[in-house]
Amino acid sequence: MVSLVLALPLAAQTPAGRYQAPVVTDTGDLKGPRQPIFFRHDIHAGEDQIPCMYCHYSAAVSSEPGIPSLQTCLGCHVVVSGGTRAGLEGDTGAAQAERAQIQQLRTAWRDRKPPEWIRIHALPGFVRFPHQRHIKAFGAQSCSKCHGDVQRMPQVYQVETLRMGWCVRCHVENKVSRDCSVCHY
Amino acid sequence: MTDAIDRRRFLKVLGVTGTGAAALSACGIGPEPTEKLIPYLIQPEDQIPGIATYYATTCRECAAGCGIQVRVREGRAVKLEGNPESPINRGRLCARGQAATQGLYNPDRITSPLVRNASGVFEAIDWDGAIPQLGAKVREASGRGTVFLTGAEASSFGDLVGEWMAQVGGRRLSYEPFAFEALRAGNRLAFGTGTVPSYDFANARYLLSFGADLLDTWLSPVEFQNGFARAHAFDAGRPASMAKFVYVGPRMSLTGMNADEWVATRPGTEGALSLAMAQVIVSQRLAPLPGDVGRLAELLGRHTPRAVAAAIGVEREAIVRLAREFANSRGGLAVAGGMAAQYPNGAEIVAAVNILNYVVGAVGTRVKFGADLGVGETNTFADLAALTADMAAGRVAVLLVHGANPAHSLPGAFQQALGKVGFKVSFSSYMDETAAACDLILPDHHPLEQWADSRPRAGVYALQQPVVQPVFDTRPTGEVILRLAGRSGGGTFKDYVQGKWRELHRRFGAGKSFEQFWFDALQQGGLYGDAPARAVRLANGIDTAFSRVAPPADAESETGGEVDQTVVVFPHPVLHDGRGANKPWLQELPDPVSKIAWHSWVEVHPDTAAKWGVAAGDFLLLKSSFGAQKFPAWITSSVRPDVLAVPTGQGHTAFGRYAKDRSANAFELLGVQANSYGGRNFSVRATATKTGEHRRLVTTEGSPRERGEGTVEVLSLARARSLRPGDAPFHHAETPEYAAEAVEWWAERQHEKAELGDYRGEQPRWGLAVDLSKCTGCSACVTACYAENNIATAGEELMERGREMSWIRIERYWLSDERGAPYGAVSSPMMCQQCGNAPCEPVCPVYAAYHTPDGLNAQVYNRCVGTRYCSNNCPYKVRYFNWYNYAERGGEWEAWPEPLSMLLNPDVTVREKGVMEKCTFCVQRIRGAQNQARLQDRNVRDGEIVPACAQSCPSEAIVFGDLNDRRSEVSRLAGNPRGYHVLAGLNTKPAVTYLARVVAAEAPSHG
Repeated sequence: MVSLVLALPLAAQTPAGRYQAPVVTDTGDLKGPRQPIFFRHDIHAGEDQIPCMYCHYSAAVSSEPGIPSLQTCLGCHVVVSGGTRAGLEGDTGAAQAERAQIQQLRTAWRDRKPPEWIRIHALPGFVRFPHQRHIKAFGAQSCSKCHGDVQRMPQVYQVETLRMGWCVRCHVENKVSRDCSVCHY
Repeated sequence: MTDAIDRRRFLKVLGVTGTGAAALSACGIGPEPTEKLIPYLIQPEDQIPGIATYYATTCRECAAGCGIQVRVREGRAVKLEGNPESPINRGRLCARGQAATQGLYNPDRITSPLVRNASGVFEAIDWDGAIPQLGAKVREASGRGTVFLTGAEASSFGDLVGEWMAQVGGRRLSYEPFAFEALRAGNRLAFGTGTVPSYDFANARYLLSFGADLLDTWLSPVEFQNGFARAHAFDAGRPASMAKFVYVGPRMSLTGMNADEWVATRPGTEGALSLAMAQVIVSQRLAPLPGDVGRLAELLGRHTPRAVAAAIGVEREAIVRLAREFANSRGGLAVAGGMAAQYPNGAEIVAAVNILNYVVGAVGTRVKFGADLGVGETNTFADLAALTADMAAGRVAVLLVHGANPAHSLPGAFQQALGKVGFKVSFSSYMDETAAACDLILPDHHPLEQWADSRPRAGVYALQQPVVQPVFDTRPTGEVILRLAGRSGGGTFKDYVQGKWRELHRRFGAGKSFEQFWFDALQQGGLYGDAPARAVRLANGIDTAFSRVAPPADAESETGGEVDQTVVVFPHPVLHDGRGANKPWLQELPDPVSKIAWHSWVEVHPDTAAKWGVAAGDFLLLKSSFGAQKFPAWITSSVRPDVLAVPTGQGHTAFGRYAKDRSANAFELLGVQANSYGGRNFSVRATATKTGEHRRLVTTEGSPRERGEGTVEVLSLARARSLRPGDAPFHHAETPEYAAEAVEWWAERQHEKAELGDYRGEQPRWGLAVDLSKCTGCSACVTACYAENNIATAGEELMERGREMSWIRIERYWLSDERGAPYGAVSSPMMCQQCGNAPCEPVCPVYAAYHTPDGLNAQVYNRCVGTRYCSNNCPYKVRYFNWYNYAERGGEWEAWPEPLSMLLNPDVTVREKGVMEKCTFCVQRIRGAQNQARLQDRNVRDGEIVPACAQSCPSEAIVFGDLNDRRSEVSRLAGNPRGYHVLAGLNTKPAVTYLARVVAAEAPSHG
């Protein structure tokens, strides 16, 4: 059995002058599908500046980006209970709401029932997209090229079409292969 | 693997992360709104999504004990490959081994323990109820006969069964339908030792097989085939030293097909031929003779070629020639077994062949006693016959069966006897005939799900580890026994195996901690050492032991008229004794000799067929004194006119959807009494009657002979030896004159094209080289391709209509002497030739078939609209069309019913209805290697990309690489003077180079 590791990434502790995620009062206004837990990429990746690949751990080495296990969440949230970030400004209602989400996560861990996330970015079965090649070409900060500014999204939605024409345009601009069998096999 | 997630959870996770395996969605682009991503609770430490993990373990599909590496993706075993560390199979794997995953994810597996209720119907029971019930029965039966029947188990599991049986006063018996009793008895007769030695084929310079099907079913086929290819290939490291291979037997098997000469002796006279050859060698002093050869004088004196020629049906000159060739090679190796050793005088035949080996000094060098094979420890058929008699007489109170299906291989007698047994327990994972007759079924884990080990040969200890979580509610039988024996306090079955390995650690683990020793063994797949050689001498009384080397009288006489025939029952190359029958890959794999799939057949010589007025597909009712079965006739010159041959494997009355009620069971024809050496007679006398019924054979045979069209090329050994670098014996076919202008025009267009976009600059040109002097036709590549590329099995009905999807097929063409009698065959793997000037490409109206910069004929599935023009225009007929949606859940033609779909390769698209598909040179492996190389800022190295066919090939006949890289192995082979392109005259410029088959027969065969 793997033991729980408490490891807060360094970025999370960097102070001052950084983005503050907004307080969301009406989730009905947000773009994108509602997720079983109101996980906020804008707080984690934006305000706390946790690198994308802290959770999506295999994007640089594998075709698959990796969906973080609940254990990864608990790595922080075993101690981080939420509701204390600067942006809340003593808004107790909002703080409570955020704590409730983290509580939901802990409950899921206790019950060994991982949340069933709604998938946002999906490709049809006949397309191969190697994440690692794109990270290698554009660097670890390049996720937003395709996924949009996730660091500013309280709820993630699909920004780009992920259609073939959109893929090919980028391949043309960057003078890389447009051969069909690079992606289709 | 971590045990932190339960099984259901695990399956759910798999359902999502295996994105690639999802069937083509009809609407195509865009996210499916309901698609879910379910994360792991705890990330397994050794798994990265999208990256395969390989685990070393041991194949348990037969007793050979090949090492395998299991490719696991997101917790599913998707592909098996040979383990290069294993001294048995050296990284290679046969079709049966490949198909082990279809056993693991078989839709007909028993999902939980079952017990027969009062009304005689099976109902589910939980483990905590089932195990004590069995315990009580075993206690009750104490002293009234408890028998535990296993398969070939030279292993810790076998040891545990033995210990438990000793504890409860029962006995252990192991059973293999083809258990090589004649071999063991013959060795005892000749050398006084009843063990099965290992054979060094790689270092033989002349091979003689008396019915031993060393390439398909005999002892250790992958190991032997690899060694055979090293000896028999034209240039496998020893230039121009090709060992001639002569096959002796009444029927040409896959092994016989690869011979340079076929000697069809009269059945049962193989031993006489062998002694006559020994007589020539000794009397003419053709080899340095062993000191005690004088003891053979009298025996050999009775078997001069002159004396036996008429009886065995081979001319005297031929015997003398064979003897000379064998001795003069200074590296002769003769083996006997299989069909030549299944007569009542089988043991004598083996002993006679032992003598032939002995006089040329092969025993101790190429026949290695000491490195004995574990399968030789199996009980004989006589033991099973005795058990059957005991059961029938009510002397067995409890029978436990694991890893054997005697109710299929002994259909009448064993099944009846089962009824007299008080309590019958099966540990089978499948509802086979034996399990179906039992009272309690405690399904075992699949070998890929559990800890175990095996001892395939002395000195080799192969380890088995679980590579995936159990698919169903099964339990390792080892655990069940430990609990019943009251030893579960001592730990799990893994602990038991480790206990046995602590003993090995004491013997071989010098300087290592046990943990390190165990870890190393696990990583390598086992502990690989050499057993000390054991010298053997001629046994006492050898000269008098040979009263029956001549055929038994009844086999000689042709009484009973034209319908009374010798029927030879032989093990099917992939279904074997029937254990492979519920795996669709193996059912759909055409038999390498007959090219028939999905049903059994009876081999009839054309002369016999003409005499009886039998056409191919006509049913013949074979009736022996033990049973009657009908088989459709396959008419072939590869069987003697006075012999009919029938494969085992089919005719199951239970076992699962792919096996049940399919064709006929050849075991029905056989007797149930053991013969004089404790074996079973697989040849019987039977009458053959036409029933008037007829069926279309499900065959992939196009033309039995190559009609000079350059599909396969064959060179004589002398011609092949005379070739010098730069020679091009087949060059005449490359560009016919009438095409010169067109070719010139085409070449100019190529220059233009090469300046466009992605096609600019240096590109690899992927290519294959296939050495036909190594290819045996075993078809391991075919099953490997099915496994790697998610190829659908079409089933009997569609295959009969020619709709199989086999991206690589083995074409078999007979080789004939000047009288038209076949002496062997050339097998040629035919896959997409990835033409440089491909006929398929220009006819595609939607550019789904097009040429990639790296020289592949790509097929873009999502662009294909299914006009099938490409297939019509392909001269090689290697394109396959999806007539149905084989991936449709619950569909009529569903090829992967749950949980079979779990073995789908997530790197390869599952094609849907209306789409054309074909060999891609395993483009997913090419792209995978390129991705990996780019991450490391380098180019792909030669040998880094290995397509599935090349990976599995037991004879290492297929080489893949970049033809534009002058230093690559494949471009070196492409320049070999034996190289040719199939149908080169069409100017298709294939990327596949075949190297001509070389036949060592200077003088064509007789027989």
